[in-house]
Amino acid sequence: MGLLTVIKKVKAKEKEIRLLMVGLDNAGKTTIVKNLCGEDVSKTSPTLGFEIKTLAHNGYKLNIWDVGGQTTLRSYWRNYYEQTEGLIWVIDSTDVRRLEDCKRELHKLLVEERLAGATLLIFANKQDVSGAQSQEDLLKALELDKMGERHWRIVSCSGVTGEGVGKGLDWVVEDIAARIYMFNN
Amino acid sequence: MYTPDEVLKFKKPTEGFCCSLSDNKYGIEFLEFEIRDYDTSKSVFKISKSDAPDLSKLSLEATNGGSSVEDLVRTVRYKLPKEFLKFKTVRTLLKFCVGPGEVPSFRMIERHYYKGELLRNYDFTFGFCIPSSTNTWEAVYDMPVNSQEQVDDMIGSPNEHTSDTFYFVGDKLIMHNKAYFQYV
Ligand SMILES: Nc1nc2c(ncn2[C@@H]2O[C@H](COP(=O)(O)OP(=O)(O)O)[C@@H](O)[C@H]2O)c(=O)[nH]1
Ligand SMILES: [Mg+2]
Repeated sequence: MGLLTVIKKVKAKEKEIRLLMVGLDNAGKTTIVKNLCGEDVSKTSPTLGFEIKTLAHNGYKLNIWDVGGQTTLRSYWRNYYEQTEGLIWVIDSTDVRRLEDCKRELHKLLVEERLAGATLLIFANKQDVSGAQSQEDLLKALELDKMGERHWRIVSCSGVTGEGVGKGLDWVVEDIAARIYMFNN
Repeated sequence: MYTPDEVLKFKKPTEGFCCSLSDNKYGIEFLEFEIRDYDTSKSVFKISKSDAPDLSKLSLEATNGGSSVEDLVRTVRYKLPKEFLKFKTVRTLLKFCVGPGEVPSFRMIERHYYKGELLRNYDFTFGFCIPSSTNTWEAVYDMPVNSQEQVDDMIGSPNEHTSDTFYFVGDKLIMHNKAYFQYV
């Protein structure tokens, strides 16, 4: 899997990147973050606030903010938009019933002015489950055709097996780094 | 009352505490703190709220020892295994909950001293905390490389490594804790 190897030591002078991880509850956000950190993914409990992890990735210091997605918590997401350089939206690809909910919440974020410059990574999670929607089907359902200038990408993954998780993170970090650290490398 | 900018200028440990326990108007409570070696995941320190000393017992000790209960509850004495001084990278985990109100902007500044001189400073902004939420913060730090001489010196000087941790909401100091480290 090799995910542990992508996490290196955090050095004091490293460039920082702030990532916000959101999506409906039960999408697999906490599982994905744990997988990235090489931790046991078999036990997660619902996030009743935020879980911040700082980790180093390809020379950057990442601060990942995983914020709970329960209905009652969603109205607080906006408090975490400031200074967010990358938005990671996680979808439970097996939850067809709440796809409409998922679409509505995502579209709300896309019109947020404070997130206008943020790179967007969409994780089509739980691909290890048979019958999971493909990323093409999800894209259609989410109606993501008016994205304008935004840098965005959808990546299929599984927080449980780790498939695709590192690839998604690599892309989002590279995209942000190219944008904000272009001149002082 | 001190602001973040002022505590960032402190060059030595404070004499006493810079605020009182009642300044914590937000019901912020620490539930768990753990220190691990990053490379082996070995836990070298773990405290959770359920292990916290009983206040009624503390008041007895306090009257004997001369320091107030207020001071005792915000002083932590760490006894860390001496290998800690050779760890390359350390992972810390802090879990806390907040009261029924919003916390607009939460920030921690921690200053470490050895024999009264500033060693290093940590500064982290949590930002907004959701009412009645439980939050965790896991951080990874590179540790300074210590020579054998420095290691021996630190082992031989218990409680000379100290820290002051200040917690702010906005510019307002709401908590101040002190820690003493010994390596055994
Ligand atoms: N099969 C499968 N289950 C997953 C995957 N990711 C998360 N889960 C499960 O989905 C549930 C919710 O996960 P969690 O990470 O807590 O979701 P969060 O609310 O978005 O943080 C847990 O039971 C996880 O084990 C995945 O990729 N595949
Ligand atoms: Mg979660």
